[in-house]
Amino acid sequence: MSPTEDVDAYVLRLRRQVRAAEVQLRDLRRQLVQAEKQADEARNLNKNHDRGLPFAQQSKRLAVLRNIGQEQGYEGHTNGTEDRSQYARSKRRWPLRKEEYKRYGRQLIMPEIALEGQLRLRSCSVLVVGVGGLGCPAALYLAGAGVSTVGLVDGDTVEESNLHRQILHSTEKIGMSKVDSAAEQLRSLNPLVNYVSHREHLTPQIALQMFDRYDLVLDCTDHPTSRYLISDTCVLLQKPLVSASALRTEGQLMVLNNPPRAAGDVTGGPCYRCVFPRPPPAESVTSCGEGGILGPVVGVMGVLQALEAIKIIVAGIPKPFDADRNIDISTVGREEASDASAPTQDPPSLLLFSAYTSPPFRSVRLRSRRKDCMACSASATITRASLTSGSLDYAQFCGVVNPVSVLEKDSRISANDYDAQQSMLEWFRQTRGSEVYGAMTDTIVDVREKVQFDLCHFDRAINVPWSEILADDEPLKRALEDLSARRQITVVCRLGNDSQLAVRKIRELRRRGGAIGSVETDDSLVMDIEGGLRAWTRDVDPEFPEY
Amino acid sequence: MQHLAQTTSEKELTSSSPAPMPGTMSSARAPPGHFTVLYFASASSYVKKTSETFEAPLPAAKLFDVLEKKYPGMKEKVLSSCALTVNLDYIDLEEDSGEGQLVLQPGDEVGVIPPVSSG
Repeated sequence: MSPTEDVDAYVLRLRRQVRAAEVQLRDLRRQLVQAEKQADEARNLNKNHDRGLPFAQQSKRLAVLRNIGQEQGYEGHTNGTEDRSQYARSKRRWPLRKEEYKRYGRQLIMPEIALEGQLRLRSCSVLVVGVGGLGCPAALYLAGAGVSTVGLVDGDTVEESNLHRQILHSTEKIGMSKVDSAAEQLRSLNPLVNYVSHREHLTPQIALQMFDRYDLVLDCTDHPTSRYLISDTCVLLQKPLVSASALRTEGQLMVLNNPPRAAGDVTGGPCYRCVFPRPPPAESVTSCGEGGILGPVVGVMGVLQALEAIKIIVAGIPKPFDADRNIDISTVGREEASDASAPTQDPPSLLLFSAYTSPPFRSVRLRSRRKDCMACSASATITRASLTSGSLDYAQFCGVVNPVSVLEKDSRISANDYDAQQSMLEWFRQTRGSEVYGAMTDTIVDVREKVQFDLCHFDRAINVPWSEILADDEPLKRALEDLSARRQITVVCRLGNDSQLAVRKIRELRRRGGAIGSVETDDSLVMDIEGGLRAWTRDVDPEFPEY
Repeated sequence: MQHLAQTTSEKELTSSSPAPMPGTMSSARAPPGHFTVLYFASASSYVKKTSETFEAPLPAAKLFDVLEKKYPGMKEKVLSSCALTVNLDYIDLEEDSGEGQLVLQPGDEVGVIPPVSSG
């Protein structure tokens, strides 16, 4: 064995050990989250009990306490009774616990919050849907402010490309569930808050049940389908909704369904559908992964969401009224908010943030509920049943094309096959002369945005961004009209979606008589690389940057 | 229009603010006889600018046609889902296109606001 082989083997062995340790670490972390959750549940039930709150939960609490085998003898024994009376006394005297006065002191002394505001925060459960660029800062500030419960919904795991903006996650949590990662971080920030993990993507079938136990919802998601679903669910359950979004350098923020009145009640706040009744065309929907996002931009929006949430909670959220059962379903132990005499609401508005414009903030006055709104008007057609049964198809409503699959299999070339084809051509050129085989060189059209193209691209590639193709035929025509000698046109993008649409576009232009490719170019010679540059990095050239 | 009084005060504020950095969106006063259109998010990507001015007066209901003519395909790809504002008030072209329809006046500021859904 040569010395290099020795070192190589050592490197390999170390790699394996690092990987094993990482797996173990991840596992430990998961166990820790579980254990902390159990401990938390116990603490929380304890806390409720201290305040003379749900006695109905006593048996559950006992079970939890027994389960983790601690604080035994506290409940139902002589000293237990003493403890209780002591707590009862302290409750009468000081509504907050000693550590709460300390922890929340800086906001408690503000007249906007004061003791009453803090008590409202402490009895309010907030659901944060999406634990990404918006959800992380929003959840941080809500946990910091001392709400009763923060529910976290997300089905994704932490990725390296999340870390520049999703400030609850960290490098060692890559691969961990976002919800677990966030809960761990939040718990270390404020252990007095109860954290509920929903490690799943929101679907119409589960939305009603999930939202029901919360008083307020934050939409921190990243797709039109979830935006409409969350808004509809909030209208049905009469929950106020704080909705924010961000892309590139811009953000939007709205407080919706506030006051949260039943559908048909014109005094209720507008819903998402009132502001945006028609979803954006599916192919124009851009994610942060595609369009990019500046960390502080989405951070600002998430922080503003937390601020609006705190304002709503402190002002007092009217109790939801169950129209179906015609009874009040306000939860036990909740600080009562005045209803009819609710404090004057801010008129509904849409806040636009645009980091590179002057002024960066603009606030647009919104209208009240739309007369023909599908969700919140008197003629609403969206019902609880249509949601739970799944008959309401949000993907269809938003025209989701996911993932793009417009080309037949034989119109696409895999990264491996493309590599083989090009190597073969290169070999022919070198061995049999470039006159014949030079003409067989293909034209590579890279349809990513220019800024991405500038990051990394194939040597011979020409750049015609998909956004330009979408807006106008000319750039594509111009780029391809002088290439009469070349037969094959290979289109590539980052993931292999836009490239398919571009191939379709090129074929369409050719049919309309555009001078594209050579006379020999037929449709079968216009192809895209399946899976795009990501597949190229994965299957052919690991050094090719992935971003 | 009811919001004209408000508009004037807003514009006074704007024109007294320092000049924006080069390359940033300008909310400076439109030339006489013109109104300003501000493009946000995908609308601004589509037209490759953040604002421009058009000749006033123009019935608001005609605005999309004017934009479509200048930027073919914009109606279907962008405008169909956009919220529209005039002097920071949300307007609804369908609701407002009946009697006494809204006419964009010199100095008005129109916002073209597509829904942003990512986050």
